[in-house]
Amino acid sequence: RKTNKSFPVPTTPCTATGWGQRAGKEQELLKWNGWGYNDSKFIFNKKGQAEFTGKRYRLGGMVLPTFKEWIEKTFGASLEHKTTSRASLNVNDVPPSIVNEEFLQDLRATKISYSQDAEDRVFRAHGHCLHEIFVLREGMFKRIPDIVVWPVCHEDVVKIVELACKHNLCIIPFGGGTSVSSALECPEEEKRTIVSLDTSQMNRILWIDEKNLTACVEAGIVGQDLEKQLAESGFCTGHEPDSMEFSSLGGWVATRASGMKKNIYGNIEDLVIHIKMVTPRGIVEKNCQVPRMSTGPDIHHFIMGSEGTLGVVTEVTIKIRPVPEYQKYGSVVFPNFERGVACLREVAKQRCAPASIRLVDNAQFQFGHALKPQVASIFTSFLDGLKKFYITKFKGFDPNILCVATLLFEGDREKVLQHEKQVYDIATKFGGLAAGEDNGQRGYMLTFVIAYLRDLGLDYYVIGESFETSVPWDRVLDLCRNVKERIVRECKEKGVQFAPLSTCRVTQTYDAGACVYFYFAFNYRGISDPIHVYEQIERAAREEILANGGSLSHHHGVGKLRKRWMKESISDVGLGMLRSVKEYVDPNNIFGNKNLL
Amino acid sequence: MAPPMARCPRLPPPNRTRQPGRGGAGPWAPREAAAGSRAARRGRAGERGAGRRSGARRTMATEAAAAPGRARRGAPMYSQKELTSKKRDEFEDILEERRLSSDLRYAMKCYTPVIYKGLSPCKPNAIKSAVLQSEQVQYVIKQLAKEMGESPDIIQEEATEILDEMGHRMQLGAVRFFAFTLSKIFKQLFQRVCVNEEGMQRLQHAIQEHPVVLLPSHRSYVDFLMLSYLLYTYDLALPVIAAGIDFLGMKIVGELLRRAGAFFMRRSFGGNRLYWAVFAEYVKTMLRSGYAPIEFFLEGTRSRTAKTLTPKFGLLSIVMEPFFKREVFDTYLVPISISYERILEESLYAYELLGVPKPKESTSGLLKARRILSDNFGTIHIYVGQPVSLRTLASGRINRCPYNLVPRHLPQKPSEDIQEFVSDVAYKMELLQIENMVLSPWVLVAAVLLQNLPAMEFELLIEKTLWLKGLTQTFGGFIEWPDNLCAKKAVLSGLTLHSNIASLVDGHVVLNDKGMEDGAVGEMVFRHALAVLMCATYRNQLLNVFVRPALVAIALQMAPSFRKEEVYSCFNFLRDVFSDEFIFFPGISLKDFEEGCFLLTKCDAIQTSQQEIYPTDKGSGTVSFLSAMFRPFVEGYQLIFRYLSKEMKEAFTEKQFIPGVRNFVFQLLEKGSTQCYEALSSDMQKNALSALVQLGAVKKKKMPSGFTYNVNQEAVSKILDMFDDSADAIPEHNEFLFPEYEILIEPEEPEFPADSTDDEQGAEDTSKGAKEQEELGAAGTADEAFQSLDEETLEAMAKHETEEEKIFQMFKKQVAAEPEQIIRYCRGGEEGPLWVSGENRPEEKDIPNCVCGAKRIFEFQIMPQLLNHLQVDSLGESIDWGTLVVYTCADSCGGGSEYLEEFIWKQDYSMGCTL
Repeated sequence: RKTNKSFPVPTTPCTATGWGQRAGKEQELLKWNGWGYNDSKFIFNKKGQAEFTGKRYRLGGMVLPTFKEWIEKTFGASLEHKTTSRASLNVNDVPPSIVNEEFLQDLRATKISYSQDAEDRVFRAHGHCLHEIFVLREGMFKRIPDIVVWPVCHEDVVKIVELACKHNLCIIPFGGGTSVSSALECPEEEKRTIVSLDTSQMNRILWIDEKNLTACVEAGIVGQDLEKQLAESGFCTGHEPDSMEFSSLGGWVATRASGMKKNIYGNIEDLVIHIKMVTPRGIVEKNCQVPRMSTGPDIHHFIMGSEGTLGVVTEVTIKIRPVPEYQKYGSVVFPNFERGVACLREVAKQRCAPASIRLVDNAQFQFGHALKPQVASIFTSFLDGLKKFYITKFKGFDPNILCVATLLFEGDREKVLQHEKQVYDIATKFGGLAAGEDNGQRGYMLTFVIAYLRDLGLDYYVIGESFETSVPWDRVLDLCRNVKERIVRECKEKGVQFAPLSTCRVTQTYDAGACVYFYFAFNYRGISDPIHVYEQIERAAREEILANGGSLSHHHGVGKLRKRWMKESISDVGLGMLRSVKEYVDPNNIFGNKNLL
Repeated sequence: MAPPMARCPRLPPPNRTRQPGRGGAGPWAPREAAAGSRAARRGRAGERGAGRRSGARRTMATEAAAAPGRARRGAPMYSQKELTSKKRDEFEDILEERRLSSDLRYAMKCYTPVIYKGLSPCKPNAIKSAVLQSEQVQYVIKQLAKEMGESPDIIQEEATEILDEMGHRMQLGAVRFFAFTLSKIFKQLFQRVCVNEEGMQRLQHAIQEHPVVLLPSHRSYVDFLMLSYLLYTYDLALPVIAAGIDFLGMKIVGELLRRAGAFFMRRSFGGNRLYWAVFAEYVKTMLRSGYAPIEFFLEGTRSRTAKTLTPKFGLLSIVMEPFFKREVFDTYLVPISISYERILEESLYAYELLGVPKPKESTSGLLKARRILSDNFGTIHIYVGQPVSLRTLASGRINRCPYNLVPRHLPQKPSEDIQEFVSDVAYKMELLQIENMVLSPWVLVAAVLLQNLPAMEFELLIEKTLWLKGLTQTFGGFIEWPDNLCAKKAVLSGLTLHSNIASLVDGHVVLNDKGMEDGAVGEMVFRHALAVLMCATYRNQLLNVFVRPALVAIALQMAPSFRKEEVYSCFNFLRDVFSDEFIFFPGISLKDFEEGCFLLTKCDAIQTSQQEIYPTDKGSGTVSFLSAMFRPFVEGYQLIFRYLSKEMKEAFTEKQFIPGVRNFVFQLLEKGSTQCYEALSSDMQKNALSALVQLGAVKKKKMPSGFTYNVNQEAVSKILDMFDDSADAIPEHNEFLFPEYEILIEPEEPEFPADSTDDEQGAEDTSKGAKEQEELGAAGTADEAFQSLDEETLEAMAKHETEEEKIFQMFKKQVAAEPEQIIRYCRGGEEGPLWVSGENRPEEKDIPNCVCGAKRIFEFQIMPQLLNHLQVDSLGESIDWGTLVVYTCADSCGGGSEYLEEFIWKQDYSMGCTL
């Protein structure tokens, strides 16, 4: 790798690198044009069977015998029609790095490592929206960062921000790069030098306070590392967004992230005790680390969800919990989606939701089924058949209507078992039928794997994306039905030749409502501008969500993708309030990623 | 690999098994035999029957299902009609098959209608209890309980009763019973019942996809029986129908209707919150669950005039609400046009419009109606329009906030933009109904005939009818005129079918207003009015097709110049005035105007330049035909406005207004001072009143007892003036403004030496009485007149030596010198007036003194010739006098500008009387 040379080299547009020890380590393990690890992906093996490679996931190395058929049936896709991505980045396509020499001199003086390398810059020019991946595979971004810097601590960030103010540069903070709101895209019209501030080197746990159960952590730490390191001391944060393998603590704060197990641990706003952020105005933080204070509007709430428009979060004090003694998965089959939602609502009402409870609709149930690996023994297969027979024949469930809830319980063994019983009792009242631990566990495992599927789809003319919303309980069913229907209609109208996959799951429960997650994918053969069509459909789906009383976003954030609806979402005055904060904190728009406002 | 399209939901539904009873030629036969092409079908229009049996006709299923989304997307709510390229489906006669096979077997056929894909099947009673338990109804019950201090149980009980009164109990048995009896009855009554099958196919798809609301036009009770019958025939889910509660008066029939799917609503329940909540929830529950298509009439009631009534919004906004709240993905609105060649209730309607009350629906009334079973009512055309997606209509129009921020079960007054949207949709649907109304040749005949009363030569009628056919088609009217049918036959068959209205007598077509010769004047007016109104019912079917160009034509005549702005401003005025009479899409006056101009240009009636619109020589016939067509409305409205501005000084209710204006018009008709019989129609009277309310010239106030109205005299006069400005444009036909004349003032012929005449003085004094300037025939003396009598006259006088005769002869003689005289002026002249008769001349004591105490002296007299000039001289019908003698104060008191009371003496030819 070129990034870590020990000596400064005269700047040339493509190959210049700076000081530094371990900058960009992550990037070597990750795909440059798709999701996740290089070694993990879906492929069709020589027999034409689907297979998941690598050893990182439980599904790794397993053959998925029914998956191919499912793809063909669902998307009308054929393995004979394949698209191919460019094998690697064509450096000549990449926009040149334009950096002022005076700034570079100042930067070098700080000894913060940096890079003007094309690959480094492209890697930080995007998140994981479909159109971004599509561009990586088939084209090139019009504007990317001119330089990447790797601060290793809070002080480094302060220096960088100061330099940026001095030289009037644009900083775009970069954490895990898992944004799905176009938040990392560089504004095309930005004329100043764009500095990508990569926080990945600020990844230490600074201290753990066992008395108060808090930990102070540098914001660049990635979710799985944080949990791993805390686990060494017997703790966890319990914050597990689906992207936790790659997303960073700072990113969570900046987007108001939500974790799968929020029912026990809370969302990021419940977890955070203290935030330190570097802004062009200076450093913003509180004077103490207390559970709650009444000192006017909570300044944390200006920071959380600011999406990199105000500054860089450098250190966060976060609540920690002892690692739970016992974990148990579970699943329940419901005769239909309506009953399932009613059950979730009742669980929420009784405030007995397990760490996680999710309800997938029939299409997603079928999809999960298609991802079942080849069974090891005849016995398991027999058991599966027996279960299926029991559910469909004996209990009269229609396999094309039924839906499944997956559950995750955590805590003391005894309490978990008690809790489990309570939840299953409720489920029974709504016609639910316990469907075993294995199904539940597989459901959660799929959450991580499902993200890899898009790359497979892209190879076969299938494009897709997920999006989410939150909605009051009484509108959940209507919203799910209408949004799915809207997607199908829009596809039809836009000339999509094959009916799309349009499916949803209720993925979080609250007292007053739920979070709903949609997956949507279609076969784009025969469409000349699939991305445009895709974006139109996605926009229509969002319109539909809003018309059904859903929110603009539950946890993905606004970025640049959903900006157009901000005014409608928070009113003119609300938007003005946010603007005035931005104007005060960053009058010269140093943090010029143009998100949110 | 599976064929990619196989699972795509937009494909036609899987083939449904054919019904055995249908003998292979059932209406869906063509659908399954998907061969041939649409073009082939068109080409084979002539040999329909054959084509049908061969089954070689292509289905439009795919297209139809795909169309709702795609075709209309982004289309504005109102789009200028494509008037000529408009292609409409073809009709099939559903009675044809009923005449060939057993009705019983048909009634007992296996009936498995297609249903909404998201339907969770349930029984009518389950719906009722769902309604009662719904949050919406429970909320209102709790609210009312709190407000009234009653226990919720009592109110719940009340709600149950309401629901029982209103709810339907659809049962297949009743449906079969109806299928059987209606087959019998319809076959008896009607020659053909024609349906556009493509429309039925579209409907079939729509029903499966989304909740469907059927919006038929309403001309007859037959409407909803027929529609249910039709859906049964085509194996579609039977609709639940919002029927007026008065049907429940018909004991057995009401119950039967209920079992066939009718539910009943009270005519008015504005104030009753519980009723509203229960009713709205009942309708919405059925809609949301996709239980059955909901059917109701936008017009609210049967149109007595066959002219589309302005829409009612209540039910429409109820059925739209589930979509606004996103409880359903979409809702299809299906406009259905049901056109009758002859309306079952035609004479009932005419009586009703004239104020003879409508008989309350009763079973015995229906049985009596059996008499009409022996009559022939021609053909019914049912055109099922393209289902309109509410979602498409609403796209971009609805602000979602109000629905997101309040729990959906709370009753919420619709916001202004929602109300506006509902109204727009209602008008759009009615315009779609109008577009596909089938016009029979008789409609054209009626329109021509009404302009040529009392009698019209048969040949001329045919010629004019043919001409009108062309014009109607240019304007986009949907005429069902078989290709090979010659005009004469068409007119004749119309006359045969409507022999109760008009008949052919000696080569002339006349209205059947029998009893014209005998009977009192009033009776004659009534009979004639009846005939005119019945005939007008048919002409009216053309009006909404013609209204835009016709109003442009009238505006052209009204406007002071041909400048576009002025013509448009007249058009706009007319459009406003007639906003309740005809159907205009709200707020697009200019578009309507442009459409009118476009159509007139198309038929060469007008030419337009940048600034001007002017009629062509060639088009004068068209323009005058059009304005004559709408003249009854122009004149009728003026009569009604005049009545309001003159007679209604105080607040009044509609119950007072209708008989009042009816009497007013009736009297004018009796006198012969108007020929506008249609102004007797209560429909027109109500519309005119409501137009004034909308124009702000009449104030409508809600009182505990109902609405009262207050006339703003000035404003009404102003509106009348707008019409009057155009009076000279249509002079010979203006039936309530007297013709204008110039009056010449001359002294009487020299052989009668003039006495004192003071022209100026006279002009001043008399100008107060009449609008016209007076003619002064200078009075001669009676003696002088006497002297001048020639021998001959004297002889005659000798023969008839009565005083009476003598005086009349003298009168005649005197007048003969200047036969056109209308006023004789001779203030204070000793000779006094020229009497018509010896009888009933006033004595001195008969003339009261002036208020000031001075004596009143003769000033001038008005001669009976005036009646002639004013054309109010029909004997026995008009006002009449021999002479009117005016006496005024000898002292000429009261020199100011105020009016003074004078004394008038009326002497008749035979018997005089004082006024």
